[in-house]
Amino acid sequence: MPRYVIEREFPDGLNIPVNKDGAKTCLNVVGNNATDGVTWIHSYVSLDKRKTFCVYDGPNPEAIRRVATRNGLPVNRISEVQVLDPYFYH
Amino acid sequence: MDLLERDTHLEALHGWLEDASAGGGCIVLVSGEAGIGKTSLLRRFVDEQRQASRVLWGGCEALFTPHPLAPLYDIARQAGGEFAKVIAAASQREAVFNLTIEHLARTAAPTILIFEDVHWADEATLDLIKFLGRRLQRLGVMLILSYRDDELGTLHPLRSVIGDLPLGFDRRLHLLPLSGAAVAALAHAAGWPAQRLHELTCGNPFFITEVLAAADKVPDTVRDAVMARMTRLSAPARAVANLAALVPGKAERWLLEGILPTTAALLEECLAVGMTTLPDGALAFRHELARCAVEESLPPPQRQELHARILEALLQRPGSEIAAARLVHHADRAGDTAAVLRHAPLAAARAASLGAHREAAAHYASALRHAVSLPNETRAQLFEWRSYECYLTDQIAEAIEARGAALTLWRAGGNRLKEGDSLRWLSRLSWFNGQKAAAERYAAEAVAILEPLPRGRELAMAYSNSAQLAMLAGDAGPALEWGRKAIALATALDDTEILSHALNNVGTTKLIQLDAGGLEDLNRSLELALAGGYQEHAARAYCNLSSTGFRIRDFDRANRYFKEGIAYCEKQDLDSWARYMIAFRAATALAQGDWAQAAEDAQAVIEHSRVAPVTKIPALVALGRLRARRGDPGADSVLQEAWDLSLPTGEVQRIGAAAAALAEVAWLEGSPQRALAVLRLSAALAREHPDPWMKGEIAFWSWRCGDPAETANDIAAPFAAQIAGDWRAAASGWAAIGCPYEQAMALADSEEEDELRAALDIVERLEAAPMAGILRRKLRASGVRGISRGAQERTRQNPLGLTNRQMKVLAQLAQGGRNADIARRLFISEKTVDHHVSAILAKLEVRSRGEAAAAAYRLGLWAPENGERVAKK
Repeated sequence: MPRYVIEREFPDGLNIPVNKDGAKTCLNVVGNNATDGVTWIHSYVSLDKRKTFCVYDGPNPEAIRRVATRNGLPVNRISEVQVLDPYFYH
Repeated sequence: MDLLERDTHLEALHGWLEDASAGGGCIVLVSGEAGIGKTSLLRRFVDEQRQASRVLWGGCEALFTPHPLAPLYDIARQAGGEFAKVIAAASQREAVFNLTIEHLARTAAPTILIFEDVHWADEATLDLIKFLGRRLQRLGVMLILSYRDDELGTLHPLRSVIGDLPLGFDRRLHLLPLSGAAVAALAHAAGWPAQRLHELTCGNPFFITEVLAAADKVPDTVRDAVMARMTRLSAPARAVANLAALVPGKAERWLLEGILPTTAALLEECLAVGMTTLPDGALAFRHELARCAVEESLPPPQRQELHARILEALLQRPGSEIAAARLVHHADRAGDTAAVLRHAPLAAARAASLGAHREAAAHYASALRHAVSLPNETRAQLFEWRSYECYLTDQIAEAIEARGAALTLWRAGGNRLKEGDSLRWLSRLSWFNGQKAAAERYAAEAVAILEPLPRGRELAMAYSNSAQLAMLAGDAGPALEWGRKAIALATALDDTEILSHALNNVGTTKLIQLDAGGLEDLNRSLELALAGGYQEHAARAYCNLSSTGFRIRDFDRANRYFKEGIAYCEKQDLDSWARYMIAFRAATALAQGDWAQAAEDAQAVIEHSRVAPVTKIPALVALGRLRARRGDPGADSVLQEAWDLSLPTGEVQRIGAAAAALAEVAWLEGSPQRALAVLRLSAALAREHPDPWMKGEIAFWSWRCGDPAETANDIAAPFAAQIAGDWRAAASGWAAIGCPYEQAMALADSEEEDELRAALDIVERLEAAPMAGILRRKLRASGVRGISRGAQERTRQNPLGLTNRQMKVLAQLAQGGRNADIARRLFISEKTVDHHVSAILAKLEVRSRGEAAAAAYRLGLWAPENGERVAKK
């Protein structure tokens, strides 16, 4: 299954509290993703919390956008990526 | 052996049955390798449910050519009474299917309907599954299908059946081998070395049972284990077991007794080594794997002799209805040519009438293998029948081969009429196979041979076939000329079927040239087809009415016929025609700016395992364009596939579409010269054909990519205007047609801030990032300040992050609009509305539409007095 990095911009900053509510928000996203065979691996968030880089597995870019709509999340750019591991270079 | 490690599966089955009884129905797919315990699981489930539910159990058998609807006949026998009688008597597919539905609908109690081993199912059974699957909801049936998933190649027909099951009703159970711990426990109880047992059986429950029951020492292979158990039988019991091993499924008691003395004691002996008897006294192996092991252990001459005796016994069965497929199976293996030739054509005709065309084709092939000594005419007829059945089942290469063999035989016998008709068929088949040149050669030969003969149906069809080829290639002159001849002859012969075919070709040709008379022809073709019950012709009329609607940008008409046509085809199970329209619906939705719908339709077509190139090309083109316009990855690969598929067709409508899309991607990526080669090739092709829209699209992209095309005046208006520098006329032209993205591309040619901002507005709403980037750079370069940074800019304007479109949906929703109404008012599909509504509920953190309306009002997003959005700042 292809892997994608999704760039999202949150002009007012993204705020997912580290508590029960935050956990519920994340699980909700995971659940919405599952119906389209999309898996959220993890995300990187910029220090000002205005931009995220989300690593996803999914069947195609259309599925990534479909679940983003369902989750109410913005999509600014989708790039298909593969792993480069610096420690495999000798 | 106890059922190990299957508790969660059983629990799931019970739970689903409960849901199904409450909610109307579900389909359970039970998959796993041979011997993994699918049957054992289902038996246990059914045993536990027997009190509460009605159980109907049918199985598919490993006959060389399966008996059509075998599981349904099993079920009918179990159900007994009137149903058994009417099913046995019915010989047409529609009648059988409808009787089955009626029967299932009649009972109130929840029914468990099991089709076992559907990886062996014949085509009619697969169709029945699809048919039942689509009607599950009102039947209250739990339909369980079991199959060996490791035996399904990518093209196995079961795959597309599973893919076509209605969404939301399927439940899946995949059975895994037993864990190391479970195997170790079993080994320990039997005093075996655990590791060796696991190595030998890989945790497969059937293998474990066989191995543990085999002998005192561990055998080398599972087959050895099976055979070791057989050696315990006395000679007479062994003979009975050997005989039963040659009968796939089960060997009836009367059959065994008709060949060998079969006493109850001998049957008892067989049971003791792991065979089973069924309630009706038939003898069966506990597992197909064991039956195969025994069958293969017999020397070929002995096998052949036993098959001959089985055939004899089957034929002597008085007054019983032995399936012809069964007779052919044994006759073929007994090497009994006369019997094969007697029964195979009957089996084929029976299979064909039930819709099992794949099996019909296989039976004709069996007959032909034995037919060397038959007269040429008989063989030619068999080849023709085989060719037709292959054609119906997408085995085009085989269909061509058989039709070619028939042609040779007719020619040798001097039958000119049949020769000409065979050539006409070869023309059609070659087109299907993507060989345009061969198709045209055969078409011309057919006409040349048939014209001097008395004028009949064959000649009329040859004319209409030539018209169709010319229509598909976009050669309007010849298409109309051949079509005129076909119409005249069909009218003289009073043959409405050929008339419908010919009117379709003529009407489509006229429409592409923007001759409105084509619509009348096509509608008449549709009416004749519907009135005469010519389903394929009706489907083709719907396809051409809707797809030409897209091709000449008459979206209202396209959408009207998509709706009617897809509904018609789905009702008649004409799936490949429905998919053709769905592919063009994707292209239409893309053009109209409904990109969610475009993505859904394109994916639905592409994900299907058996889809013809002519259907796949428009879906790939729409998907590639969509990805490019959104700036998403994967545009190049799908468009390259579209291009590769389009070239062998030689048809400008397909090649040109792929070329224009490739050019659009290259232009967006800033390297337009990359597309020049494909554009030149398509421009040369388009020059020959009066198709203003395709010509326009190619001319436009050639111009855009820096290859000043000859600005022909017979191209569609918006393209012509933009090439001539009149982007304003182009933009209003696109706006009138309803193509927002094209409108923005035209406005983008302006140097004025207002137009550029209007264009940016459109592409931001569409979330078309690359075009938005181009427009922002252009605005900044011309000194404009304060350009928004990104596509999500507007969502900032309300606190919940709703997009403009979602605000509109919310406003409609708050007024109590249902999805269908909202879809109609906002010109989007119901599914898209559904996506928006889910997003709105999620963003507002509410559960129902009512709560959403209340929240919208509370937050000041919507004021009920005027139904308009209240500005939030």
